[in-house]
Amino acid sequence: MGALLHSLEGKRVAVVVGSGGVGKTSVSAAIALSCAMEGGRALVCTIDPARRLATALGLGTLGNAEALVPPEAFARSGLAPRGQLFAMMLDVKRTWDDLVARHAPDAATRDRILGNRVYQQVSGALAGSQEYMAMEKLYELSTERDYDLIVLDTPPTSHALDFLEAPDRILDFVGNETARKLFAPAIDAGRFGARLLQAGTGFVAKTLSRFTGSDVLSDVGDFLGQFQGMYDGFKERASAVRTLLTQPEVGFVLVASPSPLSVDEALFFHDHLRKAGMPVAGAVSNRVTPDLWPFPGGTPGAEAISAALSAALASTGPGTEDLAARLALTLQEHQGFARSDAREVERMRRGAPGPHVAVPRLEGDVHDLSGLAALAAHL
Amino acid sequence: MSGSDLLDRRLVVVTGKGGVGKSTVSAALAMLAARRGKRVLVAEVDARERVAPMLGGRPSGPVIREVLPGISTVDVDPRHALEEYALMVVKVRAIYQAVFENRVVRFFLRAVPSLSETLMLGKILHEARSESHGRPRWDLVVVDAPATGHAVQLLGVPRALLDTVPGGPLRRDAEWMQALLSDPVRTAVALVSLPEEMPVTETAELDARIGKELALPRGPVFLNAMPRELYTEGERDQLRAVVGAPPPLGPAARAAVLQAEQRERASAQAARLRELVGRPLVPLPLLASDRWGRRAVERIADAMEGQI
Repeated sequence: MGALLHSLEGKRVAVVVGSGGVGKTSVSAAIALSCAMEGGRALVCTIDPARRLATALGLGTLGNAEALVPPEAFARSGLAPRGQLFAMMLDVKRTWDDLVARHAPDAATRDRILGNRVYQQVSGALAGSQEYMAMEKLYELSTERDYDLIVLDTPPTSHALDFLEAPDRILDFVGNETARKLFAPAIDAGRFGARLLQAGTGFVAKTLSRFTGSDVLSDVGDFLGQFQGMYDGFKERASAVRTLLTQPEVGFVLVASPSPLSVDEALFFHDHLRKAGMPVAGAVSNRVTPDLWPFPGGTPGAEAISAALSAALASTGPGTEDLAARLALTLQEHQGFARSDAREVERMRRGAPGPHVAVPRLEGDVHDLSGLAALAAHL
Repeated sequence: MSGSDLLDRRLVVVTGKGGVGKSTVSAALAMLAARRGKRVLVAEVDARERVAPMLGGRPSGPVIREVLPGISTVDVDPRHALEEYALMVVKVRAIYQAVFENRVVRFFLRAVPSLSETLMLGKILHEARSESHGRPRWDLVVVDAPATGHAVQLLGVPRALLDTVPGGPLRRDAEWMQALLSDPVRTAVALVSLPEEMPVTETAELDARIGKELALPRGPVFLNAMPRELYTEGERDQLRAVVGAPPPLGPAARAAVLQAEQRERASAQAARLRELVGRPLVPLPLLASDRWGRRAVERIADAMEGQI
């Protein structure tokens, strides 16, 4: 077992973070797989709409509910897990709707909120909404289900902090006291746009309605009014999620490819997790080019290779020389990638102290369970 | 559709999965257009700015700045886009400050359907259609758009507004924005992919969404980081037999076998992508340089020359 999996032993939740395209989903699935192989009940929850995890697990599609990876899928890959592996894909809209249903005082309020256009925007498209719901789902799963390990594959956030700040940001709006006061006439009296324009709050509202049109204003007013009674429930839950994330049973896993941008992003995240008191379990440098020439001096020239090649192939001539020249170039280019990767791996290691694993660029993509198992062997 | 007339559009939106090289392709498109004498603006969308540094300049931030002759860059962010737009509506800065810099109003504006995206897209599209002295301000605006899901959200904003906002200034803006975005004469959405399984799958899905769900004109699909074909199958077999040889031959043979295998997998994925999207791809070379800078962008632009 590698340093990362070792560090995750005894954890109940692993949150896998990093910039897009670094292999977060594969790493998440590999962590859950290795828990299942060892006899645990493991769940991997992805938010990735590209269904790549489903493909890798032989599940066809993933839904908002947990699905057991069938024994046949393991058998096909020659794996015999002692535990069970479940997978699901987070449906952001559904999770919001469930949350509203959970907190709504009655069915009529619930239906009015679900039908409100502003709610539909907030739940579907508002920046940070995905991140908020990922955290919400994680909380629900960790408190209401009985898994040994839940691995959350987080959305490819362009701003890492959305994760930690989105719930507060969104709730700040829906529960903002001043907003409620400002929009109070509307909240009480339906057609809020018109009312507001006549009321004393006029100046701000009048300017805003020139900007957005008054229908939009009235939708927001309705939404705030309907949400009023539910705010405390939402707020309480968001704060419970935050508390959960600081518990020792949780471990954040940073994933980066050996590229400057990806490492920057991971280290930025690392610092903020530290500051927020959230436990970092370890870091993964993924898809690292292996070093094939760990010798002093540069890579060999065509002549040196040509001599060895002639001896090995028992042939000489222009064909061999030409091949040797290409070999020299390929090795040189390969080492160029390897050097630059090594620099970034080192930066990651220094910037995020603690368990760190470097996963070599594997042959081919990870697209089935045996690929995930091969990946897990490096973690 | 081939990419032959891509740079004659007014607006080229570049998107794809995270980490496939969207910014590099955007920078190279700009460079190629500038070589052809065009005035180009590259707009990034609320990003950690990459295009200007790649071209050897300082980040522009929210104010348009020329980084190379003929090439300007800007990073559009929601706050500045809001300020610019709001000032166009209310005209007086004091009123803007009183209304829009109010904390409550800021909260409020976040809940207005996709306002941030609308404003950022609006600013970009405004640049794409603006004119000075009777001719377009920019011959070409290249949008280095966010990755897949966010891009669909951004590009879908005008349509979403047309569906949800019954009237008012936002709706009027949505109307001209949608007209520009969906016009195949002025606009194309170019995709960037990598010759790997998951990016290919995602690119094909994204291509279908752009065509069907968003009904936007599809441009070329750039296949980035395509390894060269360096070894014949016969050579590969010969080399496989000597990967265990002592240095220098063993390591060199191993590097070559890895390269050849990578090339083979990449070719298979390229074929799959071509089939899935149903049109030719524009392959771009995998560069050996381990630093991304203007030289690398120039080489990508060289590779595009003749293909688009």
